[in-house]
Amino acid sequence: MRFRMGLLLDIRKNKLLYVMLLPVLLYYVVFHYVPMYGAVIAFKDFTPRLGIWGSDWVGFEHFREFFTGPYFWRTIKNTVLISFYQLLFGFPAPIILALLLNELKHAVFKRTMQTVTYMPHFISLIVICGILKDFTSSEGVINDVIAFFGGERLTFLLEPSLFRTVYVSSGIWQNIGWGTIIFLAALTGIDQEQYEAATIDGAGRWKQMMHVTLPGLMPTIIILLILEIGRMMNVGFEKIILLYNPGTYETADVISSYVYRVGLQDFNYSFSSAVGLFNSVINFALLISSNWLSRKFNDTSLW
Amino acid sequence: MRTRSAKKSISLALSVVAASNLFVACSKDGFSESPSQTGAAKATAAPSAAAVQYPISTQETLTSWEQIDTNLASFVPNLAESPFGKQLERETGVKVKYTHPADGQSKDQFNLLIASNNLPDVIEYNWGGGGSAAYPGGPEKAISDKVILPLNDLIDKSAPNLKKLLQQDKELDKMIKTDNGTYYAFPMIRPENGLVFRGPMIRKDWLDELNLQVPVTIDEWYTVLKAFKEKKGASAPFTAQYSNELNIQDAFIGAFKTANRFYIDDQGKVKYGPTDPQFKDALSLLHKWYAEGLLDKDFALNTDSKSLDTKLMSDASGATVGLLSGGMGRWMDTGKKKNPKFQLVAAPYPTLNKGERAFIGQRDFKYNPVASKAVSGDSKHAELAVKWMDYAYGEKGSMLFNFGIEGQSYNLVDGVPKFSDTITKDPKYNLQQMVSQYTKPNGPFLGDSRKSFNTFKEQDEAIKIWEQTDAVKHVMPLFLTPTAEESKELAKMNTAISSYKEEMFVKFVMGKEPIDKFDEYVKRIKDMGIDRVTEIYQGALDRYNKR
Repeated sequence: MRFRMGLLLDIRKNKLLYVMLLPVLLYYVVFHYVPMYGAVIAFKDFTPRLGIWGSDWVGFEHFREFFTGPYFWRTIKNTVLISFYQLLFGFPAPIILALLLNELKHAVFKRTMQTVTYMPHFISLIVICGILKDFTSSEGVINDVIAFFGGERLTFLLEPSLFRTVYVSSGIWQNIGWGTIIFLAALTGIDQEQYEAATIDGAGRWKQMMHVTLPGLMPTIIILLILEIGRMMNVGFEKIILLYNPGTYETADVISSYVYRVGLQDFNYSFSSAVGLFNSVINFALLISSNWLSRKFNDTSLW
Repeated sequence: MRTRSAKKSISLALSVVAASNLFVACSKDGFSESPSQTGAAKATAAPSAAAVQYPISTQETLTSWEQIDTNLASFVPNLAESPFGKQLERETGVKVKYTHPADGQSKDQFNLLIASNNLPDVIEYNWGGGGSAAYPGGPEKAISDKVILPLNDLIDKSAPNLKKLLQQDKELDKMIKTDNGTYYAFPMIRPENGLVFRGPMIRKDWLDELNLQVPVTIDEWYTVLKAFKEKKGASAPFTAQYSNELNIQDAFIGAFKTANRFYIDDQGKVKYGPTDPQFKDALSLLHKWYAEGLLDKDFALNTDSKSLDTKLMSDASGATVGLLSGGMGRWMDTGKKKNPKFQLVAAPYPTLNKGERAFIGQRDFKYNPVASKAVSGDSKHAELAVKWMDYAYGEKGSMLFNFGIEGQSYNLVDGVPKFSDTITKDPKYNLQQMVSQYTKPNGPFLGDSRKSFNTFKEQDEAIKIWEQTDAVKHVMPLFLTPTAEESKELAKMNTAISSYKEEMFVKFVMGKEPIDKFDEYVKRIKDMGIDRVTEIYQGALDRYNKR
């Protein structure tokens, strides 16, 4: 009761704010919550003509098929590994770049650097993958360099052992600049007096960074890390399917690319929904647990 | 936090085939046994319809979902606006509203179309089963799901041209119906001389320069490719496109009397090539060539035609397996502009010993299920649609579909249609681009054997050379119809099997897996249920033979 009274009072007081919230709420309801009912096809034998409600129920059949299928462990392993490497190398990269940019005093140079590092973010993924394919082919630029120094030419994208490296490092190259924006914004929020105090205490630039800048960034880093972990199992299939081939399935085939192949190409919507749903459940669990951990060991958390 | 955004947005047109058909899933047709659908099948012997009068006088507008020819798409966005579309409307009297899926996305968009429950009157697609694109469960399933209509009665009543054809050609009739005798689509029919159009080809100017003959046996190929590599500096002497598999139409593999797919052996038994003991020898050969740099090191990355074009035009490759006009004709055209000596000639499908006849090669069937039109279950104009489609099988309609408009795109020279100078000698566009505006390159009509896109004598020769195989005995038809239940089983097993097979194929060829592992690989495919799959196909084949 008290809560409801409080809410009503609050709405009356901040009418305009609530009106502004409305479109966002509507967006989530219409585009994110309403379509969720479609997830029931994971438990049905979906036939497009019969529609979602008309199709027959099959229970956990599709889940069982996925768990016992030949590619269950492989897709899980690949998804986890690619995500893990992305987190391990991709997550700190923009932080380091932001810290480096922060130390730059020459304004024009700093802005040029920022622009240059943002650029790849705006290139379409298809183009990026086309470039990657071209550069890493056996007659490509990278191999020309390797051959120049006497190395053996090899086709990067046909080597299962190199797929994750190519995938993760090109990802870093493309998104590092973009990723720095939020950290640079957070950096401007650090109280300048702390730096002055540190200087008076005799801290050099390194010490300032370690004891003032990084702790100042920590809340932002933690929040982003939690979000990132929540997305961990969501390796996008677009880039994977543009780069992989049967020769690299072994290390490249992730849950989403598998869902794409089976679901869209073989018309097996129900099966792929089941796999997708399973994936979401893991993500949800990861998000909850990382938030819980963070709240336990740190003061920062999402809720 | 101000960023200076890029002043210009650079739009790069890069054609990457967006993996729209990664898998040649062999999900075959199924058939339902519901008697309501099959009742129609008995009516085949009904009296023929009276000839339809064209142009039909009608106020109705038909809707059609079909792919637009890629060449045509560069001239007009919609078939209705092309000279062909306008002429077809004039001649049949039927106004048609066309919807075209985006290039390379037909499969995804077909799925969306089916899911939308808002179907146009006719849909041109692969209804026949086989291939990667069919409606899951096959034509019988499509009919029982009420996606499309059984056409037996409609053909009897309103399609005299097609009916006549089917009565004359029992073989064709057998191909285009299901096991229980239901017609489900208006077929694309290839002319007798249009069944073979893909095969091995090689740079003749290089051979002449090196004093070598066109290779016939595997050993000769080895010598030639080696010479291309060492003396011509070709970095990838033999290359081929890679779409779901190395697209060599079983050249080289066929020399070992097997195929990289299901085939029919000499005893009429269905077999899965990749588990044959002799397939191991084929893999060893390809691996050897790969290791020695004779086979393109990047073969599995040639997923679009551009990479192949580049390699052949830049003299990095001197041999490939390709199409008659889309390959040989096009490359000769471009190649000769740069180097007047550039010459590609067809090589026979290779064999192990001289004088042998190749076991298998590319050979299509008269009925091409890929571009066949079905009438949707919702259609309120089924009869009109059937009349409209039947026009393409008549004398006049067939001329329009094959050659276009008389006096514009073709002239009759001594009674034989010849493409006119307007379209053969256009300064800007090549024959195929011009023809696409006046005719329908692929679709449900009766192909005319007098139609030829060949611009080089090498192309005429090629057909004769590539024809010399036993493909007709060994290629498994695409239009077998397993039952709906069997189709479900197939879909599950085939996806797993073909995916694993292809992964291992690439690894064996690249040497990532030693060839000793072959037996293990065969065992794994057996565990995945290959015997059951073969059994299903055998059953379907037996039923097909009995149709």
